Amino acid sequence: MKIGCNDKVILDQWHPISSVDVLQIGDIHNTVLLDTDISYQLDVNGDALAWLLFDNSKTLLPIRIFYGFLWVSLGTPPEFLFPFPEFDEPDRRNVATGVFGVNVSAGRTIENFLDMGHFPYVHSGILGEEPHTEVKEYDVEVSEERDEVLATSCKFYQPQAAVSSMEGMDVDYIYRVPHINCALLYKSSPVDEARLDVIIIFVQPMGEEWVRAHTGMCIIDDDSTAKEIRQFQQTIFGQDKPILENQYPKKLPLDSRIETPIRADKSAISYRRWLSKKGLQYGVIPSAI
Amino acid sequence: MLELYDYELSGNCYKIRLMLSFLNLNYTSKKVEFYPSKEHKSESFLELNPLGQLPVIFDQSVVLRDAQAILVYLAAKYDKSKNWYPIDDPDKLGFISQWLAFGDSITGSSSAARLHDTLFYGNFDIVKCRETAHSQFRILDEHLFFQEELGNKWICNGSHASIADIACFPYVALSEEGGISRMSYPAIRRWMDRFKRINGFVVMPGVFPAGPL
Amino acid sequence: MLDDLKKIWYPIASSSDLPKRHVYHAQLLGREFAVWRADDGNVNVWENRCLHRGVRLSIGINEGTELRCQYHGWRYANRTAGCTYIPAHPADAPSRTICNNTYPMKEFMGMVWSGEETFGDPTYFENFDEFTVLRPIPINANFDLVKELVKSKYDKLNYLCKDEVNGAFSVTFERSETILFFVQPQDSNLSVLRGVANKALEGAKKISFLKMHNQILQNSRQEIEKISKTMKNNPMIAQISNVSVELSELPEKSEKNRQANLRVMVSEKIKTAEGIVSIKFEALDGQLPTFQPGAHIDLHLQSGLIRQYSLVNGPGETNFYNIGVKLEEESAGGSSYIHNNLRVGDVLACSTPRNNFPLRRDSVKTIFVAGGIGLTPLLAMAQALNVMNLNYEFHYFVKNAKHIAFSSILEKSKDKVFIHEGFSPSLTVEKLSRILSKRQKSMNLYVCGPGPMLEATRRVASELSWPDKSIHFEYFKNNNEIDDSSCFEIELARSALTLNVPSGKSVLEVLRENGIDLPSSCEQGACGTCKVNVIEGEVDHQDVYLNDSEKLEGNIMMTCVSRALSNRLILDI
Repeated sequence: MKIGCNDKVILDQWHPISSVDVLQIGDIHNTVLLDTDISYQLDVNGDALAWLLFDNSKTLLPIRIFYGFLWVSLGTPPEFLFPFPEFDEPDRRNVATGVFGVNVSAGRTIENFLDMGHFPYVHSGILGEEPHTEVKEYDVEVSEERDEVLATSCKFYQPQAAVSSMEGMDVDYIYRVPHINCALLYKSSPVDEARLDVIIIFVQPMGEEWVRAHTGMCIIDDDSTAKEIRQFQQTIFGQDKPILENQYPKKLPLDSRIETPIRADKSAISYRRWLSKKGLQYGVIPSAI
Repeated sequence: MLELYDYELSGNCYKIRLMLSFLNLNYTSKKVEFYPSKEHKSESFLELNPLGQLPVIFDQSVVLRDAQAILVYLAAKYDKSKNWYPIDDPDKLGFISQWLAFGDSITGSSSAARLHDTLFYGNFDIVKCRETAHSQFRILDEHLFFQEELGNKWICNGSHASIADIACFPYVALSEEGGISRMSYPAIRRWMDRFKRINGFVVMPGVFPAGPL
Repeated sequence: MLDDLKKIWYPIASSSDLPKRHVYHAQLLGREFAVWRADDGNVNVWENRCLHRGVRLSIGINEGTELRCQYHGWRYANRTAGCTYIPAHPADAPSRTICNNTYPMKEFMGMVWSGEETFGDPTYFENFDEFTVLRPIPINANFDLVKELVKSKYDKLNYLCKDEVNGAFSVTFERSETILFFVQPQDSNLSVLRGVANKALEGAKKISFLKMHNQILQNSRQEIEKISKTMKNNPMIAQISNVSVELSELPEKSEKNRQANLRVMVSEKIKTAEGIVSIKFEALDGQLPTFQPGAHIDLHLQSGLIRQYSLVNGPGETNFYNIGVKLEEESAGGSSYIHNNLRVGDVLACSTPRNNFPLRRDSVKTIFVAGGIGLTPLLAMAQALNVMNLNYEFHYFVKNAKHIAFSSILEKSKDKVFIHEGFSPSLTVEKLSRILSKRQKSMNLYVCGPGPMLEATRRVASELSWPDKSIHFEYFKNNNEIDDSSCFEIELARSALTLNVPSGKSVLEVLRENGIDLPSSCEQGACGTCKVNVIEGEVDHQDVYLNDSEKLEGNIMMTCVSRALSNRLILDI
């Protein structure tokens, strides 16, 4: 009946455990969160419930539905999750594109999501292509009032920006990290230039070096089928997985002297400092002081 | 036109995509979504293959399931060089079949471990799965080592790869996704480099190309 | 105990485990290695971890002279393990050396040996000049257990077992056939059993010998692993060493002033003469800016260096930039980087072409004197004159025929090209006297080559009454020692600023510090880019760009190296 983690910083967060659309009313599911076995379900009234697996009294854990996912906490979470206004816009399609297991820490998973330099090598022909390998200078802000890391003016050459285009062009990206294990990528909608499509990754830390990455898209698009959207996400994920699982240390090193950053890594460096400042211990190697 | 019922992340479908590319055959890919919708267990798909498994191939009037069977069919029918499946050499065919079966058994271990770690497939003993994969890899590594000593680059004798190599490649190449490291199998790692350099080799998510020789 | 083991040389691979363009994955005492043989035969044993984000190098690509990381394409050179290419930053390449951690390596007796903290040489075994290496057997057990049980297996078969140095042991069979066994400790419960027999076997005999021992050892393994399953050892943890403070910090953006706003890709790299490569660059996007004959570009190399190269292009050849690079014996990194590490497909940053060595097209006849690699700007000029059907003589001095570069371009003008091979300095002067004695009015001389040759040509021309104005030269480098000890003031006429130039700082630096962004290129007084007009004062010319008349007139100065003889200069900026 024990909770397997004692890092208060991470215990007091909301963590995603499942997308809502895969849940059948009444079915009980099990998963692991922060080295703790938990069970969850959507009951007959449509309410989301979660409890520790080995707790016979089934004391309910804090649980909510935000943005199409079930979020659970093993501690004392804040009242709200980070804002994500695009989710509620009426003409949006919110597609949960699948959850994938990766044998690496949540921090490494988020950093990979923020990284553009690997596009021509890992997602060759899709998100990037040699020789267009340059990561141009971009801006990073760590906002104390919103408590998030924001990277703007990011630009990268994409070989085939939209299905209809014949040649590649520079695409603008914005990356946002409003939660230690969640990131959102904003890029121009091919349907409406003035608005942004959002790609999300909400990471569930099962253990310090083992995660479930919940992925999804929030887009203005009528043409693609949900199946096509999911397939695209799976391809990208399938390409990232062997890279992530071949990184070590698996935990995210917060000490700056473990790895060598280049200017393209500005958002990652800011992310690591932000986590360090929060005093996070779980899933990271804290900075040696 | 050949039709392949295909799922991008499936190693068994990848076997067929490899064969089609090696033989330079055109085909249309009918995407069947294994995850998350389990489309391969839908009623309409079960009509094509009651076992509810991918891949399935349609070639005019021929409908085939089972990756190994499809490899035999494509090689026998379309490989003019008769290198991939030397139908005139029964000895070789025997060996190839032996290793096709071996390739299929790797699906049972390595692929299962991968499904467990990536898509949370449960209901089996993952530790046993990995142990089985390791014992299979030991056998393959030993075999490939002695093949190299004989001057052979492939699973079966001869200067050209056969469908036995195709049948074994994907789930060996994807083994690390299921927590099965290949560090202890240097002969397998060398064979993988050689396989990746075959003319017409294509990747799938999770498999990296080799550099040129 | 672990500390003692770290000082031992262990075999970590068979030589045959390292075929061409392959990366081998090894482990010793908990630390993983990426082991690869370069095309020159050298075996590299590196920590299996790219210093960028910790991705295993064993999943990277062995490209023959470099290892490329799978994640972001960073390339690391054979032997040095220095990073030679970071694709994400063609322009802002940090001028710091990122080097992977390397480990000692010795290759002998058919195997590759390494050690965490070894030094000196490993023990060489007598009577093993001829050998056969057994198939290595991975075993899920601690190395002590493996040794104990394998020894006892052979012992039970009545063979003579003996302990050797550093944990190895030997087994002697009939007819003094001996096998040396080494147990490579990968981790606390993982080892590789390696054996070498003291005779060289071949063919069927070798295979049956290998198979026999393979079988014995694999049978042994079954028993060993059964016992090992009951044991639980803590894993050996390899320490990850810190990178230097400098490397751990985000590098600065490169200076705006030495701007390299073009992105070009190497589209061709071929040997055009002994020690000289011809490189072609194409634009990554859009059209390359135009240039005139004599122009040069600033190339920003990934090693952090910036080098100037003249364009060899003929008129109208606007789809690429073509340069020639000679491998300097004492390369400070520029030419050696280009020769050894630059690859077709690499993306670099370069500046818009600058023309400080323009060609006059109003000559009755032009004489070109090229020495060695100095032919590059002159070749561009000669091609321009070809198109305009203007007359010229092209004299090309080389060491010998092997050093003739860009012969296919020279072919186009063959009736005007004269190649002079292997001339000594005095013979060169003699030849030059003959070439330059045919001077007529309205002739121009263009010379480019090594310093001494340039000086000799200018002197001979002067002696033969060529006016200063008609002698055009370009130095590729300024070999003079710059004396920056003087201290003086500069008054900027248009900006109404008076600035102090202290010793140790150049005029260029002082101007930049005060917001005046002068363009520059070579920053050594050779190319002419940083020039400004001088209204008043006596200039201390330390450049090699201006000719003697220009220096005497004193109306122009090179701000990167030249200084003042008077207390003050008034500059027209």
